[in-house]
Amino acid sequence: MKLIKAIVRPNMVDNIKEALGKLNIAGMTVTEVRGHGRQKGHTAVYRGREYEVSLLPKMEIEVVVPDGAVDEAIKAIIGAARTGEIGDGRVFVMPVEQGYNIRTGEKDV
Amino acid sequence: MSVCVPMAPLKGKDVDQSALRLRLTASLDEARRELIDATERGEGGRAALARHAECIDGIIRELVDAAHVHTQMPVAVCAIGGYGRKSQFLHSDIDLLMVFSAPIGRPEERFVKALLHPLWDLRFEVGHHVREIADFDRLDISNPEYLLALMDLRPLAGDRELTDRLQAVMRSSAAAWRPQILDALASLTDQRHSEFHDTLYQLEPDVKDGPGALRDVWATRMMLRLGGDRRRIVRGPSPDRLSDAEEFLMRIRSGLHADTGRNVNVLSYELQEKAVDRLRYAGPDIRHRVEALMTDYFKDARSVTRALGRVRRAALPPEPTPIQLIGENLMWVVEGITFADTQAALAAPADWLLAFDAAVSRNVPVADDALALMEREQQQRNYAPEVFHSTPEHQRRLLQFMRPRPGLSARLSEMRDCGLLGAIFPELNEIACRVTRDFYHKYTVDEHTLLTVRNAERLLNNPRFAPILREVHAPELLVLALLYHDVGKAREGDHSTVGADMALAMSRRLGLDDEATQIIDFLIRSHLKMSRIAFRRDTEEPEVVRQFASMFSTEEQLKMLVLLTLCDVGAVSPETLTPWKEELLWRLYVDAYNHMTLGYADDIIDRDQALVAALQANRPLDIPEADMARFLEGLPRRYLILFSQDAIYRHVRLARDIKPNEAHFFLEKKAEAWELTVVSLDKPFLFSNICGVLAYYGMDILRGHALTSPAGLALDVFQFADSDGFFERNSEGPNEFDRRLRDVVSGVTDVTTLLRSKEGSVLTRRALVRRTPVVHFDTGHSQRYTVLELVADDAPGLLHRVSRVISDRGIDVDLVLISTEGQKAIDVFHITRGGSKLSEDDEALLKADLERMLKETV
Repeated sequence: MKLIKAIVRPNMVDNIKEALGKLNIAGMTVTEVRGHGRQKGHTAVYRGREYEVSLLPKMEIEVVVPDGAVDEAIKAIIGAARTGEIGDGRVFVMPVEQGYNIRTGEKDV
Repeated sequence: MSVCVPMAPLKGKDVDQSALRLRLTASLDEARRELIDATERGEGGRAALARHAECIDGIIRELVDAAHVHTQMPVAVCAIGGYGRKSQFLHSDIDLLMVFSAPIGRPEERFVKALLHPLWDLRFEVGHHVREIADFDRLDISNPEYLLALMDLRPLAGDRELTDRLQAVMRSSAAAWRPQILDALASLTDQRHSEFHDTLYQLEPDVKDGPGALRDVWATRMMLRLGGDRRRIVRGPSPDRLSDAEEFLMRIRSGLHADTGRNVNVLSYELQEKAVDRLRYAGPDIRHRVEALMTDYFKDARSVTRALGRVRRAALPPEPTPIQLIGENLMWVVEGITFADTQAALAAPADWLLAFDAAVSRNVPVADDALALMEREQQQRNYAPEVFHSTPEHQRRLLQFMRPRPGLSARLSEMRDCGLLGAIFPELNEIACRVTRDFYHKYTVDEHTLLTVRNAERLLNNPRFAPILREVHAPELLVLALLYHDVGKAREGDHSTVGADMALAMSRRLGLDDEATQIIDFLIRSHLKMSRIAFRRDTEEPEVVRQFASMFSTEEQLKMLVLLTLCDVGAVSPETLTPWKEELLWRLYVDAYNHMTLGYADDIIDRDQALVAALQANRPLDIPEADMARFLEGLPRRYLILFSQDAIYRHVRLARDIKPNEAHFFLEKKAEAWELTVVSLDKPFLFSNICGVLAYYGMDILRGHALTSPAGLALDVFQFADSDGFFERNSEGPNEFDRRLRDVVSGVTDVTTLLRSKEGSVLTRRALVRRTPVVHFDTGHSQRYTVLELVADDAPGLLHRVSRVISDRGIDVDLVLISTEGQKAIDVFHITRGGSKLSEDDEALLKADLERMLKETV
């Protein structure tokens, strides 16, 4: 199993959810986050006063998928979240040693 | 029905432990079965819980007797807390107090274990306290929960003499400890309520700890017991009402324990559906049955909350307040604001609002007797809404009352609870206790609505949004829009549209003018749009911002919508408005604001657009199609949404046959302010000169727009306050103003000379607040203009002087947006030199001139 963590634009979550749904990947955790990569934020001006927008609002999506579904899931996320502009986000993949269902206590296979 | 027979005493005798365990298990199983059966019949209330507690009493007595094999030291074993009150639910903890007559040694420790271990084996959750009687010589106030649990002490077993002694100590101590116990109870109650956002109107309420739930019933009784001087209690809670509410809540809670098999006390959506079957609610479908259950729940919880509030105010009165007469028929007493003469109050229901207004001003509640009087009277007479605002003065008073300030939502809650809010705004009755089942909302619709008003009050302390709220010219309209934004949820159809239609009736009743009516209508219809765009669309995309900004006719609408959105999202649940979401809303607001003010002039009217077609179609006969088209040529697109069709036709007429050095204008009184519309052919210093004439007569410019067309037509619209009362004091004032303006525009009179004559009077008035002025140039937002943003302390003649400095530098003023926030002037100038944006040198020189002028002026 792998944990896929994607940091994406806030407005892309529904697209990604739909794309993963088509792969029968239904479970996901979505968290509101703020940060920056190469996009690094910018300066905004309101009524003549400047203020720094260094941390940009993003959404973090976490899904755990079987090893065999990782490539397809990544492809789906990137396809759904890409605009081609700086700030589209990042995808990380990490190994998962074990997973359990809390209600039943069953171990994920 | 099983009967728990007292068991044979076995004091100090060895017993067969396994036989004892079997017997006790059977006895407990029987008690639990009986409670479950009663619960399933919908009878899991006070009597069933008491029988359950008594069966457990029997078990404990038998274990105490058996444990005496370890020590002969006198001991008193008592039930405390909920078990002490015999409110023993299926899976509740049992709280026990063991008090020994002398210092505790090894044998006594073995006694305690011999009592507790079998209870644990029987799967009881036991909260136990072991003390020596000497411990009760001094009050242990470090553990308030324990202190309060002791108040419900009930002897179960043990030495009679020691038990009598303990009870005597408790009786005498209760009187001595009263202040500490009351303080602890009040503090724990506040802490507990805060965990529920201080509202009982939870869609999935906790029937044990939530506001208005079982723990509050107990707190009310405890305060009544400890309340001391009962004469303070103006009108105690009806014992029957409190008892009925408790019985209802107990039956629900018993059901929760039976359904989940655990000590679960949250009446979730799923468990509500089970509860309606058990409590035999009738209705066409499950939704109606659940709504009926929850309506009963909220009514009972509200009774409990009000009873607790009354008892608490009596038991813990604030600092003694001398009785003060306020106004004609109001008094400020210990309990809050009340009527001095009840007969006079009954005769003038339209004046009831004054009590709430006085309460908001003093940050105190309206007294219970006054609330009860209004509730009773409204129930009996069923006043129509018009009774409460039959005259313009009453309407003005009501609007004034609705201005957001600390305490407003609390008073509105009182108005709701006593029925006055629903009498004034009957549409709100349709959402009373209304349940909306979705993933997000935590409160009933009416409570959510009042929480939005509370959020509006809290925005006054928000460093980002408080200035925006202060800038809004009619914040009472924001509160009215908040009160009505969800009323449509009571009916079929899109609730934004339905709610806007329902609000229209209210606006008419209150005699609101067209502008105010349209703002409320716009806010209700649009109340979901900003959050949808901010949270779901890519707001980095300029087109998204452009489309969003095109919703608004004025910056005022944008400001009100962002405030309404914040208040609305924040009232969905405590967790909904995260700093992340607030940031997204702020950014969308800033981008839209900048688009509207800085990119204003770039978006030119397209002759094919629908609004132009509508203008042409509805054109009065005296305006030829070509004149209409020529007038609109090159004007910003926002012009069409900023002004009504009638206003635009008037502008066209004013522009007719205009000649150089002429000014055609129109002056009219609009509510509290005046509006001046001037059409002329553009020339240097024109804008500055018009502002100078207004300054000469002491007029405070509140807001306005100035724009020019490529054909050289200048249109200036100013809203101003006649602060010195020139028009009021002089019947010939408007005529003199008319002559003066024509002379100045034509060049017959030099406005600078004119103003010099006023030096030492109007123009030298100083602003009370000194802020560092902001002079900022933006060259990015507009393709054709340099945009100058100026934020400074407002002062008479400021706009004239600023625009004169600009014109002195040979710079053209093409478009101006004028607004004020209290004593702060916020002006945006779109400027060019020779038809192009300013160079960096031009900017630097102009900035230096402006800063020098501002420094000298203020």
